[in-house]
Amino acid sequence: MEASFYHAKTRYPGILGWIFTTDHKRIGLLYLIASLSFFAVGVSLGLTMRLELIRSGMHIISAQTYNAVFTLHGVVMIFLFIIPGIPSSLGNFVMPLQIGARDVAFPKINILSWWLFMIGGACAVTSLFTGGGAPDTGWTFYVPYSIRTGTNISLAVFGVFLIGMSSTLTGMNFLTTIHRLRAPGMTWKRMTLFTWSIYATSWIQLLATPVLAITLLLIIIERFFGVGFFDPAKGGDPILFEHMFWIYSHPAVYIMIVPAMGVVTDIIPVFSRRNIFGYSFIAASSLAIAFVGYLVWGHHMFTSGMSDTARVIFSLLTFIVAVPSGIKVFNWIASLYKGSITVAAPLLFTLGFIFLFSIGGLTGLVQGALATNLHVHGTYFIVAHFHYVMFGGAAMGFFAGLHYWFPKMFGRLYEEHLAKFAWVLLFVGFNMLYFSMFVLGWEGMPRRYYDYLPRFNGPNLISTIGSWVLAAGLIIMFYNLVHSLVAGREAGDNPWKASSLEWQTTSPPPAENFEKVPEVTTGPYHFV
Amino acid sequence: MVTGWPNLSNPADETFYFILGISLTFLALNTGVMIYFVIRYSKKRHARAEEVRENTPLEIIWTVIPTILVLAIFYVGWKGFVYMRTAPADAMVVRVTARQWSWTFDYANGKETNVLKVPIGKPIKLLITSADVLHSLFIPAYRIKEDAVPGRETHLWFLPNEPGSYDLFCTEYCGVGHADMTTKVEVVPQKDFDAWYAGAAPAQKETPVPEAHERAPKRSARADEGAALLSTKGCLGCHTVDGTPKIGPTFKGLFGKKEAVIHEGKETAAVADEAFIHHKLLEPEDARIKGFPPIMPSQKGVLTDAEIDAIIEYLKTLK
Amino acid sequence: MSELAHTEHRDYTGAKLGMWFFLFTEILLFGGMFLVYAEFRQVNTAGFHEAGTEMDLFIGALNTVILLTSSLTMALSISAIRKGLKNRSLLLQAITVLLGIAFLVNKYFEWSDHIHKGFYPDSPQLLAKSHGQILFFGLYYVMTGIHALHVIIGVSIITFMFVLTLVGRISGGDYVKLENTGLFWHIVDIIWIYLFPLFYLIT
Ligand code: HEA
Ligand code: HEA
Ligand code: CUA
Ligand SMILES: [Cu+2]
Repeated sequence: MEASFYHAKTRYPGILGWIFTTDHKRIGLLYLIASLSFFAVGVSLGLTMRLELIRSGMHIISAQTYNAVFTLHGVVMIFLFIIPGIPSSLGNFVMPLQIGARDVAFPKINILSWWLFMIGGACAVTSLFTGGGAPDTGWTFYVPYSIRTGTNISLAVFGVFLIGMSSTLTGMNFLTTIHRLRAPGMTWKRMTLFTWSIYATSWIQLLATPVLAITLLLIIIERFFGVGFFDPAKGGDPILFEHMFWIYSHPAVYIMIVPAMGVVTDIIPVFSRRNIFGYSFIAASSLAIAFVGYLVWGHHMFTSGMSDTARVIFSLLTFIVAVPSGIKVFNWIASLYKGSITVAAPLLFTLGFIFLFSIGGLTGLVQGALATNLHVHGTYFIVAHFHYVMFGGAAMGFFAGLHYWFPKMFGRLYEEHLAKFAWVLLFVGFNMLYFSMFVLGWEGMPRRYYDYLPRFNGPNLISTIGSWVLAAGLIIMFYNLVHSLVAGREAGDNPWKASSLEWQTTSPPPAENFEKVPEVTTGPYHFV
Repeated sequence: MVTGWPNLSNPADETFYFILGISLTFLALNTGVMIYFVIRYSKKRHARAEEVRENTPLEIIWTVIPTILVLAIFYVGWKGFVYMRTAPADAMVVRVTARQWSWTFDYANGKETNVLKVPIGKPIKLLITSADVLHSLFIPAYRIKEDAVPGRETHLWFLPNEPGSYDLFCTEYCGVGHADMTTKVEVVPQKDFDAWYAGAAPAQKETPVPEAHERAPKRSARADEGAALLSTKGCLGCHTVDGTPKIGPTFKGLFGKKEAVIHEGKETAAVADEAFIHHKLLEPEDARIKGFPPIMPSQKGVLTDAEIDAIIEYLKTLK
Repeated sequence: MSELAHTEHRDYTGAKLGMWFFLFTEILLFGGMFLVYAEFRQVNTAGFHEAGTEMDLFIGALNTVILLTSSLTMALSISAIRKGLKNRSLLLQAITVLLGIAFLVNKYFEWSDHIHKGFYPDSPQLLAKSHGQILFFGLYYVMTGIHALHVIIGVSIITFMFVLTLVGRISGGDYVKLENTGLFWHIVDIIWIYLFPLFYLIT
């Protein structure tokens, strides 16, 4: 038997063998470490905000600091944690294994992407300490404010630009890989649904990210040269910026959720020991989300002053894009029917995902309806919605995948009881923290406020207490995972008795993934 | 003071309850079935799984039903929206200007205030614009908001039907004073409104006049004008006149003081004289006073030269 | 290459497919700017018309001819290497690089001329003009500027390919890198074909 990729001979010794590697598994782990570190930064900022918001009045940080904190919190969570989170880390590690490839199509571009990502992240973080002070625009960088403020926007925006390039290259790489490097017999309909979701995500990355790139470039150009595209005094149009920003950023929310949907689709059959229900409908709905999701950006601008006709059209399209998500939810539930179910930690996280994502998605309908949007836009209702879909959805899916593929990556098992205990805390804390925000939002509390009227005190307090419960859950979960890296039980090659290709090699896999490229004869969920 | 919601038959609420009903039904059904399956088909109770691959009629059902439901939601939302966007022809028009970080309401007869005063039972149409960056005018009680966009006029309307004082928030992030850019909608009976509207009370009466007013009785009319400008233009959102620094430096004793300023990245000293203040108001980034964040909005196009002079006149009195 | 044996295996179709995906993103990048152009032109037709008269049609046309020719020489250099004619391919690549540089030199003179006349972003002279004119010049500098950046990148890559061909890393048996470079160069060319009428012809 070959040695695992951890022990394979590398071109450079030690740490250099990691940061200059071209092995997709090592790159996946590099991304994993990087994005979880950024996540730690992001949650610390989130906790800081909640502390400030515990009661009305100013407590631990000033208004200007608060503005910098939520800006960085948003930028870090979106661009440095959740967008690269699943596709670049789990996708990099697992997807080539699942299609029976030895690596991605362009291994060198793969490590280049990681470097671009890290440099971009470094720029974003450096912008805090240099120039005119920490950026204070919110993650949306709306003009004209982002052009007028004296803080260090250019560097932060440039950082995000690099991260965007990294994301585009990864999308290009994965698309080529899936088209070209499938093992013999691996037809499109024999691919796992995780790979399908990565495929759909890569398309979104390819279609949407260039628009972000040009939008961000225009901010920088505007700040340095004042060409006037967004400045009404020179004939420019701030609403044009909003369009360009959301043409990317709405599809970006599907870059976050579609891979998470893929993760849970792979987990359900394994723990219910039967085939997935409606394979082709789930695969097709990923693609439908990817493409229809491209056309609904205007729902972030229902009060922006754009024409009423445009608002009506965007509202209609928004409702259309909700249907494929529903199809997925129904198929997941049907896949439990007549199974033989073991509720292990990955499945528990998956069930949590379905519940929390449904709440997030259904409240998306409230925002997508025109009459209600006029009330909830710009309030904590929105904040609650996107934490439900991004944290309750995408990040829960990420954690589910982390538990599921943990033995694949490290050859060891985490402590099952502790994992479940952490889940309970996460679930309870999560709902305390964010459900309160729906109430606040409907009562009219605006977002991005460092201070609020005393009448919003109650739910804010519950929310802050919830953040501590959630924090406890997160700490236990990560303690369990990190501790198990060294102290976990040996997992064996296939602890879940899964049938997809990544489990048919050793855990952790050898440098070249498979001793012999496998010949594929069945679908990925073959249990009975 | 009433801060509750006077207008519960609002289409926003109707739409909300409609969506809530559908959502809760789905959420309860989905979660219920999910939990039932997990228990009923647990390994203990159901040792051997059975294969159920797919079922096209079922897929069609759960595609078509949600599609119909979301289209219904769309329709309800759209209908309410049309109502919420179409102001009745007899609405009273008030022009609103948002700026960092205050609101100004201009009435047809030239009255200008910082608090939106309206009579009961009369539809109010607001024509909104911004003097600097994006803002958004939000009145939770009337479930209505619309952005204030520089260089453009947007609109909204509402029907105040109960007396009281309601919150008005800024809901588009606009810088450090965003959370303080709040004011009130005062709904008063028609005759009180008329009295106020016809009254000679100058605009400035509506806003708290800087305290120093009383202490410096011998002040020119020009300085008085400056004092009033400080509050209508929102300067007092960040600066005080009593000596305590807030987001920006205090105005007390500012005039003629030597300040450490950051000019093109280097620290120098400057005296806050007429020329300095004039320049600072128009090009704030050019010389930033040390120890304060670089967030002062430029007053270009907001203050005329004459107004700036009036403000300086007033600052001179704040010893 | 790397420590891994599998990277030795060559997948031409894969390499080209990847390149096409990448070019697709380039088109979208410029597509974003074309949208901005369309929106502003729609609103400020008169101002655009007036500003367009400031453009020097001759330089624009000359640059169009230069880029088109360079696309041709690029294509010829690929078919030369395919036939194993190394020296001819090298010559054609060199000509392509020179043409690219000629394009940039022209651009430099054109920009200097406009800046000299006082037409640059935020210039007092421009700010005194109508919104349409300010935006037209803004778009002109941004779009041709980002395009010129692509020309610079293209020229550098072709120079690099020249070296690879010289040392034999690109040859009749393995020329996919040169082919991909050619694809990139054609896209740069095609984008110019769209920029040219937008700024020089439609007045
Ligand atoms: C992971 C990220 C993610 C995902 C998946 C979604 C999914 C959706 N989002 Fe969300 N959204 C965000 C992240 C996300 N969103 C963010 C970050 C913002 C704010 C940005 C900012 O301003 O800072 C935002 C803001 C936002 C707005 C703008 C609000 C405003 O600012 O005014 C709107 C408006 O329409 C919206 C709608 C939707 C809809 C309809 C979906 C749908 O795709 C949801 C579909 C899912 C379901 C519907 C649930 C599952 C289905 C069932 C249980 C079956 C029953 C279904 C039916 C009856 C249809 N979102
Ligand atoms: C995936 C995305 C993601 C995630 C996971 C989170 C997580 C959290 N967010 Fe979120 N948030 C956003 C994305 C996300 N956020 C975005 C995009 C915005 C909009 C920004 C904008 O308006 O521009 C936003 C805005 C936002 C606001 C609104 C700010 C405002 O409008 O004024 C608030 C307020 O409470 C908040 C709170 C939190 C909290 C408490 C967490 C919790 O997760 C935090 C829970 C964790 C802990 C409490 C700590 C746990 C501790 C550890 C694991 C160890 C710690 C490590 C060290 C000490 C090194 N966030
Ligand atoms: Cu004005 Cu926010
Ligand atoms: Cu969206």
